[in-house]
Amino acid sequence: MQLYAPTSSGPKRKSFRAPPLASLEGLRIGILENGKLNAEEMLREVGALFVERHGCTIRPIYSKSNASAPAPSTTLVKAAQDVDFLITGLGD
Amino acid sequence: MARTASRIHEVPDDLLAAIDYCYEQGWTDGLPVVPPVVDRVDAMLARQSRPAETVIATHPATGLELSLHAAAVNSVMAGCLPEHFPVVVAAFEAMNKPDFNFHGSTASTGGSAPLLIVSGTYGDEIGMNSDVNLFGPGNRANATIGRAVRLILRNVFQMLPGISDKSTQGNPGKYSFCIAERARGNPWPPLCATQGYPAGVSTVTAYAGGGFCNVENHGGNTPEQVLASVADAMANYGCITLGQSVVILAPEHMRIVAGTGWTREDAQNFLFTHAKRSVEGMKNVGKYRDREYDTQHGGAAHALAEQGFVHRGLSPADILITMGGGDAGGHSCFIPSWSRGRGSILQHSAIST
Repeated sequence: MQLYAPTSSGPKRKSFRAPPLASLEGLRIGILENGKLNAEEMLREVGALFVERHGCTIRPIYSKSNASAPAPSTTLVKAAQDVDFLITGLGD
Repeated sequence: MARTASRIHEVPDDLLAAIDYCYEQGWTDGLPVVPPVVDRVDAMLARQSRPAETVIATHPATGLELSLHAAAVNSVMAGCLPEHFPVVVAAFEAMNKPDFNFHGSTASTGGSAPLLIVSGTYGDEIGMNSDVNLFGPGNRANATIGRAVRLILRNVFQMLPGISDKSTQGNPGKYSFCIAERARGNPWPPLCATQGYPAGVSTVTAYAGGGFCNVENHGGNTPEQVLASVADAMANYGCITLGQSVVILAPEHMRIVAGTGWTREDAQNFLFTHAKRSVEGMKNVGKYRDREYDTQHGGAAHALAEQGFVHRGLSPADILITMGGGDAGGHSCFIPSWSRGRGSILQHSAIST
């Protein structure tokens, strides 16, 4: 008996990790909040630790209107131009 | 383009062993599947005029693609007949629209499941149930079409419970959640007509349903009494968000509502007006958010949105109402949206036969 596999037979998308930063000192931080309850508050606290410990600067906060959908490409393109690294995470 | 060079698994010519083999591969929803033998898959694909490698949906995060071929394999496994397959295809064409957000609504702790509502004559042609025991077991088309959608989410898009499907509790509709709109005795135009499709075109509507809420009312004799019960269910503190709603009125309730001349729009307006909670009440249970209130009451606010209250949805049009179920019984239902309010917006697509 011959069975077809029910899984996707298309190519898998390749993704790559960005290279690690050599240093955090004085870098510009982006914050991407996802709109969930307490997300912005939590991320601001995390950002404050980088400011305190590494002299980082926090740029204006980016927001997603839909927590579970990918951030719009326009948001990510703008962030890539404005910041050295970006913090995001879940709220609730 | 997805590749049609799907992997073939050779198994012994023993049906029970093949079923066990599917379990061992992790291809099932916990229930036995029909082994996807080649000739059955080919018969399913014969219903489509497009090439088997045609991609009908793509996962926005992983890029995994759903081809007609993979959809057919999973439809066979679910127990579908070839005439059911166009509904499965149309369902994913609807779910693939970005605003449906099938990744988020499947992965979320909210535990929603795609509710499919088939409207138009095709449901009757393939023997779907729109009548007694509407959401229950016993009808092959309803059961297997909904199940095929779940198997595709699992096997093709790898939305695996505990790994990429983080539903806190899930809901029984995650096995299968598929109904037909009842045309017999329905005084209102079918959904497919209100959705703007030409006469003769059937549709499937996909909605990320967060569960099932029975609305019992055997004593109400006016539209206001019946619909007040529905509105109360829609506005319960556990369910109320800015999300959309699906309401399936039982024939008994529909006779009361439409029997006095109420249109679908009248009912939508009534439900939007009354499915609400005060700001104070929302604060008392910890669910009030300025951002959401402003969304509902800002410059684009609907005229029926009352200051000082949080309504369910943003406008009456956010409430899909139709009729379904058996002739006897004052049991309608409200299907809440996925918990994230407007994270998924219902979509529809024509069924190509």
